[in-house]
Amino acid sequence: MKNWEHIHLNPQLLKTFTVRAQVIDAIRTFFKERSFLEVETPLLVENPGTEPYLEVFKTTLKTQKYDDKPAFLVTSPELFMKKLLAAGIGNCFQIAKSFRNEEGRSAFHNHEFTILEWYRTEADYTDIMDDSEELLLFILKTVTKNPQATVLPFQGKEYDLSGPWERISVAEAFQKYAAISVETLLDEVELLKKAKSKGYAVTATTTWEEIYNQIFLNEIEPNLGSKKPTIIYDYPISQAALSKPKKSDPRFAERFEFYLAGSELGNAFSELTDPQVQRARMVEDLKLRKELAKYEFQLDEDFFKALEMGLPETGGIAVGVDRLVMLFADVPNVKSTLFFPIDEVFSFE
Amino acid sequence: MSVIKAGSIRKGMYLLHKDQPYFVTKTDFMSPGKGSAFMRVKYRNAKTGNTEEFTYKSNESVEELDVESKQMQFLYADGDDSVLMDNTTFEQVSIPNTLIAEKVGLLSPEIQVYVLFYDGEALGVSFPPKVRLTVTYAEDSTAGNTQGQARKNVTLETGLVVSAPIFVKEGNVLVIDTETLSYVSRAN
Repeated sequence: MKNWEHIHLNPQLLKTFTVRAQVIDAIRTFFKERSFLEVETPLLVENPGTEPYLEVFKTTLKTQKYDDKPAFLVTSPELFMKKLLAAGIGNCFQIAKSFRNEEGRSAFHNHEFTILEWYRTEADYTDIMDDSEELLLFILKTVTKNPQATVLPFQGKEYDLSGPWERISVAEAFQKYAAISVETLLDEVELLKKAKSKGYAVTATTTWEEIYNQIFLNEIEPNLGSKKPTIIYDYPISQAALSKPKKSDPRFAERFEFYLAGSELGNAFSELTDPQVQRARMVEDLKLRKELAKYEFQLDEDFFKALEMGLPETGGIAVGVDRLVMLFADVPNVKSTLFFPIDEVFSFE
Repeated sequence: MSVIKAGSIRKGMYLLHKDQPYFVTKTDFMSPGKGSAFMRVKYRNAKTGNTEEFTYKSNESVEELDVESKQMQFLYADGDDSVLMDNTTFEQVSIPNTLIAEKVGLLSPEIQVYVLFYDGEALGVSFPPKVRLTVTYAEDSTAGNTQGQARKNVTLETGLVVSAPIFVKEGNVLVIDTETLSYVSRAN
């Protein structure tokens, strides 16, 4: 039976969707009270983000006058929001749909999902850490209608959302949970050797990136956000994506993710403002996309024009709204937070 | 033994992991933003009954166990074990209930199940999609209740308790879904 049919039988299920509306209202109120401008940017674009491992949805733009053009759905609104930052709009946020193809059907993913992004200018990733702590607590107080609330009940456990959250660097986490030193972590040969001794499959084609992620997923992630949210920060520079190198230690990037109850909720950067470095990373991304047989497209030249015009020092983050709703509605998966999850829209049998 | 890619692991398979046989209960394919692709697998160790989780690279090779299945009949419960018999050879095997988990509540002498063996050792029991079990206890409910959704708990011959419609009575034979351990319909 599908979610909308379940609601017909059991109107109490509507409560999850009431919470969904409250969470979204709370996010808007939070940012508007802080004078962030709410913006809308295109979902349908000519050249989407270049993340090599994310597949996009491809379609065709037809016009009366010109040749057909390939068109893509965005995996996040980031590139367009940065053009607005270069235009000088200052602090801003957006709640939008984004699309990621080739996702597995899992408890935490839907190909079409709701994303929250916010950008704070004259700021860096540590300011976004503070914003994240305040936002989640604000949503909790709104949803529970209790201005003193700090505890989120979720699936039979309780989580303390009050700040400061647990903060641990990636290097500290590898040491603490996997007994891997920072020197081993950053050295491909040493890390693969260590992984093999731990019993992971390591072959001639296994890469640093695969093993880094496999150890992260097996030995580190299960320890994150188990009592209160955990902020895990300073990623190895190869995992920097659109973030700045760390000033005091350029082997790492100013990026963090935060976790709660086994779920990754947000991914934040001190935004990379250097157009040359950004272009070099994205050219590499496109090469890797080709090797991985992902859809091909060009770089978004307007994005580089924006970086050349000058992006203010900015901290920014993307947060999965469906996952937030899952937590605040106390339901076990993202599917329950959607009236029409992907496998109830498409028939897979 | 056959070698498969971790990306094709599916619920219901038996795998060999660190020399131990595992029964796969749940899989999650992961790739978003984490680089490359991974398969997070929840499985039950078929020897100890412990549930564990492991995340494989989706392109890594994993050994799928070729399990042999024999049709058998449940004889009796023996403490924490269930004793079953091969109907053709009359050979009996004793299987720890930890390997059957919550489905112990489906074992009645009337049903035929498949017992899965690997290397001569029983790993678990595979049930037909539906089984029939008799209700041994059900509270009387007032007639004339027209609310289609009214339910009550009833006890079956095996001790299993399921939620059933209010009209179900003692002595009724119920069709039970063996995947969800839930009421499907009355059989008579």
